[in-house]
Amino acid sequence: MAQRIQSRRVSNALLPYLTSSQSSSTSSISSTCPSSQLFSRQFSATAAPQTKLRRQMFQWLSTEGATLKHHIPGETNYLSGRAERDGDSNEAPRPFPGNRNFLSETVLSEELRNEVYVRVVEKKKSLRAVSVELGIDMKRIAAVVRLVEMERRQRAQGKPLALPYARAVHEMIPTTPLAQEGERQPFHEPINDLPAHPSTGAQIFYPVPESRSFTRVDAGRVFSGAPTLEKAVADKISHPSDLVDDIIENPNSIEWVGKGKNARQVLQPADVRIPHPQLVKLELDRKAFPNERRTVAQRHAERLEKQEAAEKQRRELAQARREKSIQHVEPERSRFEYRIQDAKFTKETVGVDGRAPWAPGRRYGIPAEDRKRGMVKIPTRVEA
Amino acid sequence: MRNRASTSLSKGKIRQSWSKYNLYNLQRFRTPATANRTFFQQKWTAKATSRAYHGEQVREGQWKRMFSKRIRSVIPMNTTDLAADDGSKESAGRGSGLSESGGRNRSRPIPYTQMAFAPLERRLDVAIFRSLFASSTRQARQFVIHGAVTVNGQKMRHPSYLLNPGDLFQVDPDRVMYATGAPKTAFERRETRQLKQKSDDAEGEEAEAKPEATEKDVKENARDSLRALMSQAKTIMSTDKDVLPAKRKQELRGFQKAVRRVLSRSDTSTVLTDSLEAQFSELTLLLKAKRTEKKPAKESKKEAKEETTATATKSEETASGALSEAFQAAAEGGAVDTSELTDEEFDILKRALTQMRDNPIDHSKPYATPWRPRDYMSAFAFIPRYLEVNQNICAAVYLRHPVARPGSAEVPTPFGESISTPAYGWYLKRRW
Repeated sequence: MAQRIQSRRVSNALLPYLTSSQSSSTSSISSTCPSSQLFSRQFSATAAPQTKLRRQMFQWLSTEGATLKHHIPGETNYLSGRAERDGDSNEAPRPFPGNRNFLSETVLSEELRNEVYVRVVEKKKSLRAVSVELGIDMKRIAAVVRLVEMERRQRAQGKPLALPYARAVHEMIPTTPLAQEGERQPFHEPINDLPAHPSTGAQIFYPVPESRSFTRVDAGRVFSGAPTLEKAVADKISHPSDLVDDIIENPNSIEWVGKGKNARQVLQPADVRIPHPQLVKLELDRKAFPNERRTVAQRHAERLEKQEAAEKQRRELAQARREKSIQHVEPERSRFEYRIQDAKFTKETVGVDGRAPWAPGRRYGIPAEDRKRGMVKIPTRVEA
Repeated sequence: MRNRASTSLSKGKIRQSWSKYNLYNLQRFRTPATANRTFFQQKWTAKATSRAYHGEQVREGQWKRMFSKRIRSVIPMNTTDLAADDGSKESAGRGSGLSESGGRNRSRPIPYTQMAFAPLERRLDVAIFRSLFASSTRQARQFVIHGAVTVNGQKMRHPSYLLNPGDLFQVDPDRVMYATGAPKTAFERRETRQLKQKSDDAEGEEAEAKPEATEKDVKENARDSLRALMSQAKTIMSTDKDVLPAKRKQELRGFQKAVRRVLSRSDTSTVLTDSLEAQFSELTLLLKAKRTEKKPAKESKKEAKEETTATATKSEETASGALSEAFQAAAEGGAVDTSELTDEEFDILKRALTQMRDNPIDHSKPYATPWRPRDYMSAFAFIPRYLEVNQNICAAVYLRHPVARPGSAEVPTPFGESISTPAYGWYLKRRW
């Protein structure tokens, strides 16, 4: 068995977080050097316990790699080195020296997480508003609320938590702090990410007369193969973000093109597809009324309210429709509640002849395939 | 499945693991040479190296079915730019936009092929590793199989479960502490064995050990124990590197005992048997009460102490020395109560107590206690943006699928584009 090199002295890592503010818990390099072992056994007849590669590895670990053994609280400690990071300090650090394109981006600090929870749950602000205030993606905000809620529940129940682990991790990776009173809150991530639509991958040669103004709305129509807008309709649209209101009111109002399998909705301009389309409107208002801050803010608030109301109404409608199709049966003195949903016999649900393999129920001549070899039974979704 | 994922030095493959062997391999990895090699050979090597890291636990056929040539990407939009025009400027001229002087927003290229292995990041075992809940994907896989992982509150035993956006997964915190904590030393393992042997008759002993001090003793005891408490707290908090872990642990244990002694004198007898939380709150309450009592009577001593604290800011060691001296003087004088604490001391004591509560010595745990991160963990510590992790409860949400954006890709991979591009080409149905 090859010898392992034990560091004789352990740094302050025993109390990693308590001493974080006062001291740097760098490691002291163990004094045992692998090369000294070799010299001590040069007359030995037994085979060397270490191969050349192992020796080199321990050599490296005790010299250059020694800094990687323990972290300095509040600093990242990646292989790409501290020296390199100091050069471009405003960029996120890169954990892999061979990959310039992967960055170790910041995570939310504990205080910021709690602040998000307080704003959403206690102050009853909408996800959208909190997202814009703190510069955090809406999905992340929803997740944070869920997780903090869960954490509070577990604390109340006295379940075990991994507190020292959490502190250590937050010392090792960059975090977005919560701003102090009077400071500006640093944004966590870009919130208006436009997902690249697959249909924009094609390179299309589309000649347009120079006299015509070809806008983002037109480009979307070209990409989805829709005919050009009528001039009367096109003239009504002064800016692509004018389409936002209608679509928020009624998302089904988006035009469809193609038939059957090829049916697709017309690709909307970026102003509509970004997560916070109201911010474009806000910018437009700011340009239109440069000296009327209050008007601008008021209009923005109204728009937000309208959008939230529309979204809420749509959610409620969908929920009501779902509830309507389900019949609840709760027998007396029973632990169970049965939810019965009628099977729909349409071409989509049971196939052309009503005997499609995905149709509900057992049908003569259509064997269940779940016991067949090679049928994957790993769940594809878990209901929350 | 047999584990073929050894981190051997001779092969030098990079794995999803925090082992120091892997760290060394990562450090000495060089991009394979392309000169004098056919394109096929280059792609083969690129595929082999990247597959050793990405989903080596997944069979090749399985991965080929998962592979998708479509790569998700996003462009961060600037609302000011969107509001500035309706896009007609970009399409003016010869269709590539009127030439703008300077090229203000020349965006960086999107590293698409770095996302070649993005479908694997959806796997439950990989996501657990990426959230820093396990020290390798293999270990994450074991946690799943052994039933330590829940998805949306239900136990999930399939490591290959593909997470959907919005799925919340949680790992047993004890397993996470074990996976990410430093391993036990031989000495600690021995302690564990002894603890196991002792566990039978431990209960009887403890019942006997309850102190039954008379009224007179109480005051003496209070002084002694508080002094001991203080000095121990100080040594615990001292930042001396030369203290060996065993010695430090002895001190911690002594401190624990002292706390217990103080608590045993408190009015409520249930505190000792209660949880650590209750003990902590009781102790802080006790100390706070004494402190507020003593505050007005403190004037005489204050000047002397202020001097010592002034010097204390420079070096911790002299401070603790001076403080203990002051303590001793107070104890000998008799007139002054020993429970008189300066702000600094109180702070130290409080921190030591917090540490005791959150990170106690517990030999029944499978990791070295008090918990500390394992060696070389920091070199691998990063959390990609498509996960939102709460480390306190060891739970994370898979927010969305990883995406590429100008200048960066979200799939953590140690390889540059010179490897990921030929590897991506290898898996295309119509191979390059």
